Amino acid sequence: MTTADTSGALISAEMAAVRAKARRRMMMGRAFTYLVGIVLCLWVLVPIWFIASMALTTPEVVRSYPKGVLPFIPFSFETMKFFLGSFGIVPGLINSVIVAVITLTLSTLIAAPAGYAISRYIFRGRDAFRLSILAVRAFPVVILSIPLAVTFISLGIFDKVYSLALMHTALTLPTTILVIGSVFASIPYELEEAAQVFGCTPVQAFRRVVLPLVLPGIAAAAVFTFVMSWNEVFAATVLTVQNRTLPAQVLVSLQLSGEPYRFAGGFFMLVPSVIFIFAIRKYLFNMWGQISK
Amino acid sequence: MTSESVPRTTEPAAPARQRRQRVNWAPYLLILPSLLYLAIFFALPMVRAIRLAVWDDGALLTLRDEAAAGSRSAGSLPQGTQIALLDRQGIVVAPDELAGGTALTETWLRVAAADPNGQQVTGWVSDSRIRVRATDAQGAPSEGTVRPKLGATADPLTSVYAEPNERSAVTGSLANSAVVSIQEQAMLEVWFRIEGQNEGQTVAGWAPSRALQVYDETSGRIDAGDTGQFTTAYIEKMLNDRFFKPALGTTLLLMVIIIPVQFILAIIMALVIQARLKFSTVFLAIFAIPLAASDLAVGIVFSSIFTQNGYLNSILQALGLISSAQPYLTADTRHWIIIAIWLAEVWRATAIVMIIVVSGLQAISQEVLEAAEVFGASLWQRVRHVILPMLKPSLQVALILRTILALQVFAVVIALSGGEVVTVLANETYRQYYDLRNMNLAAAYAGFILVISMITAVIYLRMVRTQEEAGQ
Repeated sequence: MTTADTSGALISAEMAAVRAKARRRMMMGRAFTYLVGIVLCLWVLVPIWFIASMALTTPEVVRSYPKGVLPFIPFSFETMKFFLGSFGIVPGLINSVIVAVITLTLSTLIAAPAGYAISRYIFRGRDAFRLSILAVRAFPVVILSIPLAVTFISLGIFDKVYSLALMHTALTLPTTILVIGSVFASIPYELEEAAQVFGCTPVQAFRRVVLPLVLPGIAAAAVFTFVMSWNEVFAATVLTVQNRTLPAQVLVSLQLSGEPYRFAGGFFMLVPSVIFIFAIRKYLFNMWGQISK
Repeated sequence: MTSESVPRTTEPAAPARQRRQRVNWAPYLLILPSLLYLAIFFALPMVRAIRLAVWDDGALLTLRDEAAAGSRSAGSLPQGTQIALLDRQGIVVAPDELAGGTALTETWLRVAAADPNGQQVTGWVSDSRIRVRATDAQGAPSEGTVRPKLGATADPLTSVYAEPNERSAVTGSLANSAVVSIQEQAMLEVWFRIEGQNEGQTVAGWAPSRALQVYDETSGRIDAGDTGQFTTAYIEKMLNDRFFKPALGTTLLLMVIIIPVQFILAIIMALVIQARLKFSTVFLAIFAIPLAASDLAVGIVFSSIFTQNGYLNSILQALGLISSAQPYLTADTRHWIIIAIWLAEVWRATAIVMIIVVSGLQAISQEVLEAAEVFGASLWQRVRHVILPMLKPSLQVALILRTILALQVFAVVIALSGGEVVTVLANETYRQYYDLRNMNLAAAYAGFILVISMITAVIYLRMVRTQEEAGQ
């Protein structure tokens, strides 16, 4: 008995040592992963910190060398004020918002039925349609603003805010269709059927059961459409002359302007998109995971 | 591409005939708006771009049998042909048709006056023969006098014609300085009867002056044609453009140095998120921030680092590594501009690869990964032999997406180099369009990018298809 006891104790002591070693190894692994994660976070965040430091201080500090960062340099809205007061910035801002709102409205209205169709119906040509959408999605659509400019000039709708929105809708439509499709696909069809069993018409079932469930997802898609249009600069520069959007205005005046203007402009364009990404982070995989499926 | 294989076979009434299987037309109605939209704003512009790049709208000028736009064709001459002017004639045109053009014009007036014999004559006279003395309320000429003819040999009388055309019948003649009342005026465009060589053959016929450049009384050249012709001139011009090779080279170089780094970084990010740490959602959100950043903004952010009095110099000087600020973004330091663009693009576009890789990783069953760990595979072995092979489809898709997006790099380059020192294909498209106003060359560049992308997209589509087949 005693020999067995001691051998058991020996085994358990050995086990404990192995366990401790494994735990140590795991802890080391975790610490290493954290370290890598934190370094990567710094890689993403430090440039944003730099530009924020430049935008949220006085123009004198921006021009000075060597450069400091907040909170070690004076905080001030002077540089932002100077940027927003520069030629064409406020009209550009208004144009950007109008273009983005028209784009997200058009894009959502056209994409929602198509997204519903590819997620709810099996029909001949469905795969061809989906593949075409994927192909357009992966295409450099903004390059098409060159021929569109020629067409718009001949139609007399060149340099109009709404004609740029038409281009941006073409740019965002495929993504919006795919995202809305995946949002609909995440709502089981049985829910709709159940509602119909309990006496709803198909339209009522859609309105009362499906719509409330998909609205947040569609809203996230709309936000993303807004960001794509807000960021787009090539088509905006090609298709406008007087009615510049914000990125187009900043781009064409970039070479002639000083550092306070540039850095404040960069920061100003960056902020909304960062906020938007945080607002819709739950839907990120709906947006982009899609592309690989 | 978008209009293919969508059978709109059935009308709502058709299924009444029970023999055929009932087709549900609802999905077709639902996708119709997006199909139409993409046809108008995607397929059409694409055709248009290619047409602009290979079609010369004014390659040939059609000559006419008579001086009239609708008359029979007498052959055609290419743009730029040297011509001899044989004859001239004015024909009436609407004034707005000539707005802003280069046409030679004449104005004719319909006048009423007494001829030297005291008889009343009405008819048309060129306005070069009439000095206008009074105008009516609308500003149109109402009264004038016949200009005196100079020179002893000339016919002292001015002829009046039945129509605004020197070849029409003469209805009377007016004496010098006779007072006339002006009833109407007409705008004429001068047409020339011209003769020129086309591929060894002499072609002669009438052409409007708006299409010609007139050197003197007897010679000129064809300035603009009215008939299009296929041409490779724009493409050749693009290939010989001094910016084409640097642009293509830089675009490819950027692709080669950006994409591998992005993939390594993205896979590391995905592994950090997959490690299921306490803060993995925070990590994910932070890693995804650049996803929504505009390329212009990112270019500006990195210019704040690489500009001469920027952060890089500030940090190096604080560390004592340099004694004075070094220039980076100048023509003499091209390699630094490339490095700055490289870092900016890696910063900006790694996020999308990361998202694709993470969603690919989530599809790998956790048991497989755990099994590998239980059997004592090291991290590297797990990545090399388990994770990478299973991620292959996602990585392929991300690779193609990134390749096509890399062809569009534009604003980052402008923000960091001004678009002169270092240039890329999209920037050349923009320069041809915006600075040089050459639509055809811009379209040639656009077409070039489109063709490369199209080839990549076709490969991509085939891959998605095989993937879906494998998944079924």
